[in-house]
Amino acid sequence: MQEPPVYAWSNRWFRWSVSSLFILAIATLLVGFLWLPSVQSDFTAKGLWDSICRAAGVPSEWSAPKDWPRASARTTNVVLTSAMARAGPGDRIGRGATIAIQQCSMCHGAQGMSEGTSPNLAGQYPEVVIKQLQDYKRGDRSSAIMQTLARKLSDRDIVDIASYYDSLPRARATPVRVDEPGAPALVRVGDPLRNIVPCVACHGGIDHKLGAPWLEGMPKAYLLSELKDFASGVRRNDSYGQMRNMVRTLTAQELDDVAEFYARREPAAGSR
Amino acid sequence: MFLARRLVLAHFWIAFVAFLVALVLGEWQMFVRSPLSAWVGDPELYYRSVTGHGTVMGYVFPTLLAMGFGYAITELALKQPLIGLRWAWAGFWLVMIGTAMAATPVALGQASVLYTFYPPMIGSPFYYLGIVLVVIGSWVWVVLMTINLRAWKKRNEGKSIPLAMFGNVAGAYLWAWTSVGAAVEILFLILPVALGFKDTIDAGLARVFFSWTLHAIVYFWLMPSYIAFYTIVPRAIGGRLYSDTMGRVAFVLFLVFSMPIGIHHLFADPQVGAGFKFLHAVFTAMVAVPTFLTVFTIVASVEIAARLRGGKGLFGWVKALPWSNPMMLAVTFSFIMLGFGGAGGIINMSFQLNETIHNTQWVTGHFHLIFAGAIVIMYFMIAYDLWPQLTGCRPLSAALVKIQLWLWFVGMMVMTLPWHWVGLLGMPRRMAYFDLTNPALEAQGWTLLVGTVGGLMLVLSALLFVFILARARGAEAEPAPFTFSMPVHMPVTTPVALNGFGLWVAMMIALTVVNYGFPVAQLAALKDTSVPAIPIGGR
Repeated sequence: MQEPPVYAWSNRWFRWSVSSLFILAIATLLVGFLWLPSVQSDFTAKGLWDSICRAAGVPSEWSAPKDWPRASARTTNVVLTSAMARAGPGDRIGRGATIAIQQCSMCHGAQGMSEGTSPNLAGQYPEVVIKQLQDYKRGDRSSAIMQTLARKLSDRDIVDIASYYDSLPRARATPVRVDEPGAPALVRVGDPLRNIVPCVACHGGIDHKLGAPWLEGMPKAYLLSELKDFASGVRRNDSYGQMRNMVRTLTAQELDDVAEFYARREPAAGSR
Repeated sequence: MFLARRLVLAHFWIAFVAFLVALVLGEWQMFVRSPLSAWVGDPELYYRSVTGHGTVMGYVFPTLLAMGFGYAITELALKQPLIGLRWAWAGFWLVMIGTAMAATPVALGQASVLYTFYPPMIGSPFYYLGIVLVVIGSWVWVVLMTINLRAWKKRNEGKSIPLAMFGNVAGAYLWAWTSVGAAVEILFLILPVALGFKDTIDAGLARVFFSWTLHAIVYFWLMPSYIAFYTIVPRAIGGRLYSDTMGRVAFVLFLVFSMPIGIHHLFADPQVGAGFKFLHAVFTAMVAVPTFLTVFTIVASVEIAARLRGGKGLFGWVKALPWSNPMMLAVTFSFIMLGFGGAGGIINMSFQLNETIHNTQWVTGHFHLIFAGAIVIMYFMIAYDLWPQLTGCRPLSAALVKIQLWLWFVGMMVMTLPWHWVGLLGMPRRMAYFDLTNPALEAQGWTLLVGTVGGLMLVLSALLFVFILARARGAEAEPAPFTFSMPVHMPVTTPVALNGFGLWVAMMIALTVVNYGFPVAQLAALKDTSVPAIPIGGR
């Protein structure tokens, strides 16, 4: 007997395999999109079609809109891009220097090195300066002085100031080494059980993440006050709450240790 | 007749040397996380090592082995010289260049993103381009397998394709379709970011595309071992294959069901709807069918060998099995590991049970047991079985081979069973260190210690494996002609549907469209789904 060709209904392999796969797929779809959602109240809240859409993963309002006030989830209006991290050309630096010496040097030092408790800006990554100035300008980070000053700056001014500070030498040129003596465990390895990532994973040492500032040699008082503000939620312009989440569970002693460590100016004893 | 010897040997040697290097990396990872070592100072080094280990073990080693074995099968089963030998060498060199290109940024710490890429992390573009070259090299093999089979069919009209070649080409087609997911992810989503054209990436869509590749790639790894089960094991232990047709059915079922099931890797991901997760869970369960068919058929074939040797009784025949034969030992170990790993796999694919073990060490234990255990132990046997053909050496020392197999089996069980246990306790995977000073975790430290010991046994076993192969070179003897297993009943005619792939490839593609079409289309159409990329080793 001649066997029928493969693609013919009379071929039993074709008939059986295609029909069983079809039935299996349809049955599974019915169970997954009709039966299972039908026993979940949040799936069935708005009728059959919505429950199918929800099972398919179509985003929508699945339950009746509640009228509780929605807190604004937005903590900053700045979207970081890699272009911000590139230093500007020489004329930008010059223009930035003119603005910075007039408006910033009183607190941040003539060479971007603070003599008091305001942060050093010398050698700060440009995208950090841009983001913080924009946040001050739009009210996402608060400071009576900085907000007033930033409000008058144009976007161009901000980029130029960032380019200028990027061009100045840093207080401490090298990042933490992970085997550096005296470095607190939180800085080197974090605390896995508290879900705390080591500082060096973002602030340099292991890796540097876009938007994370250069911390080495910053005044201790500044570091500590910012850490405390993140921990209490007073400061909330970290885009994903990454700093608030890291420091929320730290003790006062731990905050102090970390700030003390990053404020060191000279290379730690015993290192190269 | 075996003309492609040098080609096959080149594939095998590179595969085994890469395997050995990656294995040592793996053992280092076990060691630095264990209580035997201080915390690795720089966790980036750990993830660099994991990336190297995974990239070699996942992409380079099994791909080269499947390619080499495929070329060998083409000549040995079809009994015709390999068509396109030059192209095959070109494919080999593409894989070589791709491997070097990917390995360099990994070694420099510029691509510590793990072999599963994990966007929004973005590494050096050379890493991804290297992977693309490896895949393109393997596509050359897919095309050559098709051409060779077609040439054979033309010359042997109406005859059934030898089972080994049937499985081999099924594996090639499976790989061709499987690799499309990761290729799309790399070319259209990752590379534009890695090359600096974009700052954001649709991580959810990228993960869906990767899941397309991620699960079916395992069945591509598995195909050579299944070919060995069906076409080498029964012959090697002096038995017969219980059913030739069953082998074909298992291979085509893998083709249909292994592909459209990858979303079970995304059960914890929010971007895919629950209905599709259920759909994928059901089709994942269907993969158990060809697996059980194979276990049944191979156990039946083994029983035939035992009864031919005088075994009697319902289970008494087990004693009559050729236990001194390394192949018998290997297939037994492989099935034990497949059994444990498969049982664990049923938990992984269950929509709800998965919650308990998702992203824990359980998963690491599971895929090491299945791939590095059940599958790789058969890779060893493929090499041992082909070695006299490839090098003209005398048969290898059975005693050394058995020590090697025992070490691998015991080492793998010792390493992976504690991983399963500690995964149930909640130990996360992909961690560079564990804080064992914490009282809550202190009691779990022994699993890391035992795992390191198991890993050491695996390294010793792999060293012995390479030693056995290297030492066998240069001995002078004419090998007996290579044969594949004979079925109990030679098939008079093979059903025409099981003598080609058209129907099954069509079903595979149709099922992919049903299972992936909507999630992919929806995620691609949705606005504002991209997240900022995280460059790795950037500054």
